[in-house]
Order: sequence, then structure tokens, then C-alpha cells
Amino acid sequence: MSITKRLARIGAIAAMAAATMLIAAGCGSSSSNSSSTSDKLPKVSYKVSKNTPAWKADKSKNNTLTWYVNADWWNKSFGKDMITKQIKKDLNVNIKFVTGDDTKLNTYFASGKLPDVVTILDPNSKVARTASQWAYPLQDLATKYDPYFFKVARQDTLNWYKMKDGKTYGYPDYSNTEADYKSGKVPPRDAFIVRKDVLAAIGKQDFTTPEGFVKAMAAIKAKFPNLTPFGFNDFSGANSSLDNVVQDMLGVPIVTKDNKYYARNMDPDYLKWLNAFREVHAAGNISDDSFTDDSNAFNEKVNVGKYATIMMGSDVNHGINLQTFASKHPDDQYVAVDGIQSTEGRKPTLSQAGISGWMINYISNKTKNPAKAIQVFEYLLSDRGQMLVNYGIKGKTYEDAGNGMVKWTPSAAKVQQDDPDKWQNQYRMGEFILFGHDRYKALNKDSYVKAIWQMQKWGQKYLTPQFKTENIAPDPGTQEARAYSAIQTNWSTTLVSLIRAKSKAEFDANVKKYKDFEKSNSIDQINQTRDKNIKANMKKLNMK
Amino acid sequence: MNSIPAGRKRSVSSRMKTWFADFRSQWQMQSMMLPGVIFMIVFNFIPIYGLTLAFKSYSVTDTIAGAKWNGWQNFQTIMNDKYFWQAVWNTVGISAIKLTIEFFLPIALAIMIYEVNWLPFKKIVQTITYLPHFLSWIILGGMLINWMSSNGLINQFLGLLGIGSHANYMLDANKYWNIAAWSDVWKEVGWGTILYLATMAGIDPTYYEAAEMDGASKLRQIWSITLPGISSIISLNLILSVSGLFGSNLDQTLVLMNSQNQPRAEVINSYVYRVGLTQGDFSYATAVGLGVSVISVILLVAANMVTKKLNDNQSVL
Repeated sequence: MSITKRLARIGAIAAMAAATMLIAAGCGSSSSNSSSTSDKLPKVSYKVSKNTPAWKADKSKNNTLTWYVNADWWNKSFGKDMITKQIKKDLNVNIKFVTGDDTKLNTYFASGKLPDVVTILDPNSKVARTASQWAYPLQDLATKYDPYFFKVARQDTLNWYKMKDGKTYGYPDYSNTEADYKSGKVPPRDAFIVRKDVLAAIGKQDFTTPEGFVKAMAAIKAKFPNLTPFGFNDFSGANSSLDNVVQDMLGVPIVTKDNKYYARNMDPDYLKWLNAFREVHAAGNISDDSFTDDSNAFNEKVNVGKYATIMMGSDVNHGINLQTFASKHPDDQYVAVDGIQSTEGRKPTLSQAGISGWMINYISNKTKNPAKAIQVFEYLLSDRGQMLVNYGIKGKTYEDAGNGMVKWTPSAAKVQQDDPDKWQNQYRMGEFILFGHDRYKALNKDSYVKAIWQMQKWGQKYLTPQFKTENIAPDPGTQEARAYSAIQTNWSTTLVSLIRAKSKAEFDANVKKYKDFEKSNSIDQINQTRDKNIKANMKKLNMK
Repeated sequence: MNSIPAGRKRSVSSRMKTWFADFRSQWQMQSMMLPGVIFMIVFNFIPIYGLTLAFKSYSVTDTIAGAKWNGWQNFQTIMNDKYFWQAVWNTVGISAIKLTIEFFLPIALAIMIYEVNWLPFKKIVQTITYLPHFLSWIILGGMLINWMSSNGLINQFLGLLGIGSHANYMLDANKYWNIAAWSDVWKEVGWGTILYLATMAGIDPTYYEAAEMDGASKLRQIWSITLPGISSIISLNLILSVSGLFGSNLDQTLVLMNSQNQPRAEVINSYVYRVGLTQGDFSYATAVGLGVSVISVILLVAANMVTKKLNDNQSVL
């Protein structure tokens, strides 16, 4: 018997033994962990008051929290920059950030050793849906340790994240309430924009109707042969700005009159516009490269003003590129105009971050220090915490500008302009966003680059919440979810082939093919789930 | 190592005794194996346990042991999943083109390089053909997309020949298989020659001298000396590539795939990645992975059997 064979045999035996041990260990640790919370919580070591934040009363030292953020890009440093140094000082807490993806999160769950605080990004995920099994209810923690939390948290947001037991386990950043939408402090982000020089040169054109749009693009091509007449966001990862954003521009409803799911992709008005885009493409006024460009390629083209007009989704995210172009060519910069509008007289219904927000923070029920954890939540949600993470320290980096607004101090403005590295690493300005919200950003007119001010102003009156249809997709891992994902994949392909179709007949055939595909992939069941979820959403929002 | 021909006939206890005696006398050398053995156990054997997920319904918040069993349900889903079969078809199609070209071309290129006598030219050719191997698909993919765009390198070149168009080739699903296969060939063909060149260097030069004396032409020498000299490596490569029929290039696919070529571009790996990681459907992805592994093992064994027959009953594995 050769040595390798022997060793292989030993290896196999050892592996079997190890696997058996693992199975045994796995069985041992798979007990469930459900119990009522409040009696399990540690005692309070300071005087609790409704009217003052608990962190002021809590004098305990050497608190450490481990905070897991389910995103690899999150900056893990803490206590090294101006902003987190202040948080560390105020709260007597040291935070150890850990980052990762779902597999890392899974190892935490599998080992049963969850970090003190967990931040996830998908309100629709299984993790979020089972929060009551692994997290503490925020209401219980706040009542016991820090009732001031109820003053700084938004009731609407707490209601939205309530689970079946009537308690809220997670609190998101950037969660906009109905009131936020009306306040004027949350800027819209989508607009149809045109280069100023193009606008001046082509005379009076009508971008608002499909026919006018096709003609206008031809007029642009005639005057500016070097520009691509019509551009839109890149397709990497999502469907560009050509489905949801265009539908919002056309004011396509999100639900039917009796609050059932409305198939926005098959809206006649929307299809009319897609057909107009098809004609624009057929005339050579949409570049095929727009369908293959990644975000870098798109950014570069915005940067140099390659597109005469753009259906711009999220101008905030493209602010730097729009500003670069505007600074180099002040007379040519992009401006928002009325365009791509409903043929049925509907007003645009632009959307923004919804009530679900973005990153959702939970306090795990394995934490030894729930008091400090809820204090951190309360602190970061309070005006003090929000002003700190957005603007730094009053008198040092920002000052009053009247009317409740603020502005950078001259020295801070200089750092922002000349030393972005210091701005980011030593100040960490506006980057500690785990509880961030746009309404604080709105307190400084310099929060957004100048190039998009006009675009934001253009859309402000059209901002409309779409809370009813948030997170209505089927549960992940179910047959329905698989069918839904197949439909989405098919839609991405269909959308582009509609615009690239050679004729109206081909266009119609593709629409029909898509509808058939939906039917054969249990769309009826999926829509029933959606209807059910819409109903549940409306209940949470107190809508009738 | 002393071999004991009669070992099999002796009792278990005496065999164990010899085994331990051998082990003790060689423990220094044996212990050098230990890190490798541990590595294998930890990273190759223990993870096998995770395959049970294929028969469970598992999510992020479960433990592997704690997840519910659901029998063959995941495999039944695979049977009815149109997108999965589309991915299989694409994987096999792209691999088949890749394998055929990438099997023969490196052999031809290696022989050509081997026959070049002028050293500087040989070195330059080798360097240039190796180079793309060291660039990641992220970079190469970006270059390719750019070259294939409506005003890209290819259309400009065709324009010079008078047959230019403004087509964006990446949007043409029917061209994708060839784009994927040939771009992979371009990236890997040089690298593929290394093994062959190393083996050729080991062929005794006196064979060639004798052949020349006997008046054999260059082609005759290649056919009768070089090719037989590298035949074992050729069959090894064949076995490995056949078993890789279901393997697919995730990096390449993720970079080159777009919504238009997706029906022809989606391969098993990218499908598993999309379903398993981005949609959190771990069990289903594991089931797909397990199925593919089983088929790959079957292919590997079959290819080995075939080459063994061709190779005078000598296995190269």
C-alpha cells in the first residue's frame, strides 16, 4: 500500500470524525431562543428621565459595543476622526465595527453569537423578517433605559417597522415620512435635463409629448451631430432610468383605484412613450452604447456633456459630474425642463427614499449592554447627533446662517475645497450615516452641488410618496420569489428590446411575449401576494 | 520505502504494526505532510458537510443543522427552472467552443515556439502571448466592451476596410458565445503553452539528431518525436478540460453580460451567484452546485477511461 493511499485513508477517517463531531455540535446549538424580553434585561444603573437623554445621566465607563454592518464599503474606524471622537466622548462608548456580506452574517447566526448591534440593508430579507427572534424590541429598551428615544424617533417610522407582536425591532436611516415629503426639505432626485446651449439652438421644441420628443431629438441631431441626442442612466445592476423613473415622470399610478397592485410596466401611457423612444433609437438618436455602458462610462459622458438631453435618475449621485461639466462650460450646463410627460394629463409623481429608509439598525438580544446601545440610537437620532455627523462641531466647522439654516465656517469651507482627504478622514463629515436623514442636510444650502439646485427646485412640487408599494415582493426563497426574479430578468431584456425594436409590429410582439411570460410564471399568484402586502402596508400607515 | 508484497495476506494487527514502525522511522518526513493534510481536512472535507443544504430549506438566519429538511424539492425546482436549463445550455455551448480551440491551439503554438531558433523572437512571442493572462477580466472585459461599442476599435478597423457599421456587438446575443470563447482563447492561449514547452524541453535532443541523419523532414520530426513526447501531457489536459465542460467563467460572464445578451450569456456559475448570493436562496444554489459537481465527476472519470484506452492502459491521473 503506498504512503499516499495510507494518508488519504487517515485523512478520510479524520474527516469523517470531524464531520460527525460537527453534526453533533450543530444539533446541540440549534435550540430556539424565544423568551419575553423585559424581565431578561439587565438593571438600570442611572436615573432614567423622559426629558433628558440617558447618555447624560449614565456615567459608566469602558463601554464597548460591537456593531456589524452588512456592507463591505462601510468605514470601520471609530474614535479617530472629529465626529466619532465626539460620539465616543459624549457616550463613553467604544464601538468596534465589523463589516461583511450575507455569508458573514450567516456565520454569526449559525454560531449564535450575534454582535451587539446589527445593521442590514434589505427590509425584505429573511433576517429582517425574523428580527423578533434575535433582536430586542426598541420600545422595551427605550422605556426601560432611555425614554427620550421616543422624542427623537419618528412615530411613523416606528409604526412602519412594527412586527406582528406590535413592537419595533429595527430603525432605519433616511426613512421619509409623509410629513417629510411635504416639508420641502427632502429634495427630489429625478429630472429630464437638457444642455442650455442645445436648448437655445434648437428653437421651440416640445419635449412633453411623444411626437414632439421624437421631432426634438431629430432637431438636436441636425444641429449637434457630435452629441448623442438622448441619454439615460447606465443599465449595470438596474434598468437605468427607463422604467421606474420614466413611470414617475408620467405619473403612472402605483396602485389601482381599489388599492390593488398596478402593473406599471404595462401602462398604456408608458408603452406609448417607450414606443417614442423606439422611434428615437430607430432614427439613430439613442446610442446602442447606452445599453452596454457601465456606471463609469455613463459618468464620463455626463462629465463631458456627451448627451444633449438626459433622463436623469438620481441627480444627487451624479452631482459631481454635472458640476464638473457646469464649471467648465457655464453656458452649456444641464437644466431641468418639462419633458416626458403624461399624454393623459397626469402630473409627475417623483419619488425619493421611502419610509423603509435604507440601512436598518437592530440591537441584538445577545448584547450585554442594551442600555448603551439604545443610548447610541437615541443620540444619533437626536438633533445633537444629527448636527454632529452632518456638520461637525458648532463654532469650529459650522455656524448659524439665520432662518434656522447653517453654513460652514470659512476654515471648514477651505478644507472641504482644498483638502478632501482631511475632510473625509480627519473630519469624516456627512459620512457617519447609520441614522442619517435628508432633512438635516437641507439645513445647509451647500449640501448639494450648485449644478443640481435648479433640477431639485423643478421637481419639488411633484414629490409623491410611494409607501403603499414598498417591500411588497414575495418572500425570498419561495417559489413565488423565484418566479418573480425570472420575470424581472425577462423584463430587463424586454425593456431594451422594446426600444431597439425595428418596427411597431416587433414592439407589440415583444410586449405580448412579455405578457405571456408573466402569465406562465405565476404572475397572478405574485400579484395576490402583492395585494396582500399593500393592504398590510396601508394598515401600518393608518390609511383606509 | 520498503514495500511488503505479502502484506495483504498478513493479519491486520501485524500490518498495523509495520505501518506504525514505518511511520516512526519516517516521522520527520511524515510530519511535513501534516499541514497539507490538515488543510485538506479543514477546507476540502469538512465543507462537504455543507452539501446537506441541497436537501434543506435554508436561510441566512438558520444553522446548517437547524434548517428544515425538504427532501428533493430543490432538485424538483431545478427540473422546472427554465433559466437554469438555459444557463446549462450556454455553459456547455461556450465551453465546447472554448475547449476545442483551447485544446488544439496551445499545442500548435507551443510547437511553433519550440521550433523557432532565434531566441529574442521566441522570448518576445512568449511574453506577448502570456501577457493577457495576467490581466483580470474586469480590465479585459472593460476593454472588450469598449472595442465592441458602436464607435469602438473593431468598427473603426472595419471602417478602414470599408465594411464598417455602427453596430454594438455586445448587444447581439447570437454573437456572444463566440465573443466569450475567442476572448478567453486570446487571454489564455499563451499561458496554455507553458506545460507543453516544459515537456518538450525534456525530450532527448539525440532523437532529433538521429531523425535528421535519417533524412526526416521537420513535419515528420514533429509528428514522430515531439507529439509522442508530449502525449501524456496532452491527454492530461484533455481529461482536465473535459471535466471542466460544466465549469464556466464567472468573472468573464459578470463583466460581459448585459440585459440583451443575457439569454445567451448566463452560465451556471453566474446563475448560481445571482440566485444564491444576491437573492439569498442558498439551498437552491447548493443543489445546483451539487448537481453540476456530480456531472463533472462523471465526465472526469469517463474521460480518464477513454484516454486510458488510447494510452495503452496507462492512466495519467
